[in-house]
Amino acid sequence: MDNEKKINMQENVENEINQANIQRTTARNRLQIEIPEYIDWKDVKFLEQFIPERGKIMPRRISGVSAREQRLIARAIKRARIMALLPFVKD
Amino acid sequence: MSNKRVYEVMYIALPEADDEEISKINETLKKAIEAQGGSVVKIEDWGKRKLAYEIKHKHEGRYVLIELEGSGKEIAELERRMRVNDKIMRFITVRVDEDRKAAEKIRAKRQKRRARIGAVKVAEVAQATTEEQPQEE
Repeated sequence: MDNEKKINMQENVENEINQANIQRTTARNRLQIEIPEYIDWKDVKFLEQFIPERGKIMPRRISGVSAREQRLIARAIKRARIMALLPFVKD
Repeated sequence: MSNKRVYEVMYIALPEADDEEISKINETLKKAIEAQGGSVVKIEDWGKRKLAYEIKHKHEGRYVLIELEGSGKEIAELERRMRVNDKIMRFITVRVDEDRKAAEKIRAKRQKRRARIGAVKVAEVAQATTEEQPQEE
């Protein structure tokens, strides 16, 4: 019993790792966006790539950008929204 | 802080404002900045642009971007003036010098990395060719 459980757990872990790998690669492939060193809040064309139909900020699990980049992009989008360069909501 | 700070100030004026009014606003803002010891780096007129959402029941606005350098004291006066001006619908002030510096660092890092990868590739190619040669003999 114990052995079986262990094997099962191991399989589960392996599956999870495999899934994570697949997800990561597909996410990375989904958006092939060159991210500039300076993320400019006035660069509407660049920022628009990170706002899907509803006007929300794309989560980084989908865009595949780094945490730091996501932070900077989110801040830039929020600034652009204040100046009506980007919408708060689209309907 | 003896370092000069760089700010981007952008405002949206009413779409009805003509060029003369815009240049008048810019002139007064410039004077306000210089009176506080700052200096204007550039003024960029974006012209009329569609707003992403309505502001004061308007669908369009005239965008002007001002980049200025200074100690930071001029911002308060600048913002007060923009708030008082009824031609200006909205404005934003963003400090950019630190972010630009950070971006410069990343750029240097990326370049270094690219150079290193390039060097490794060159080395690999060189090794491959030297390994091939004895086999051919």
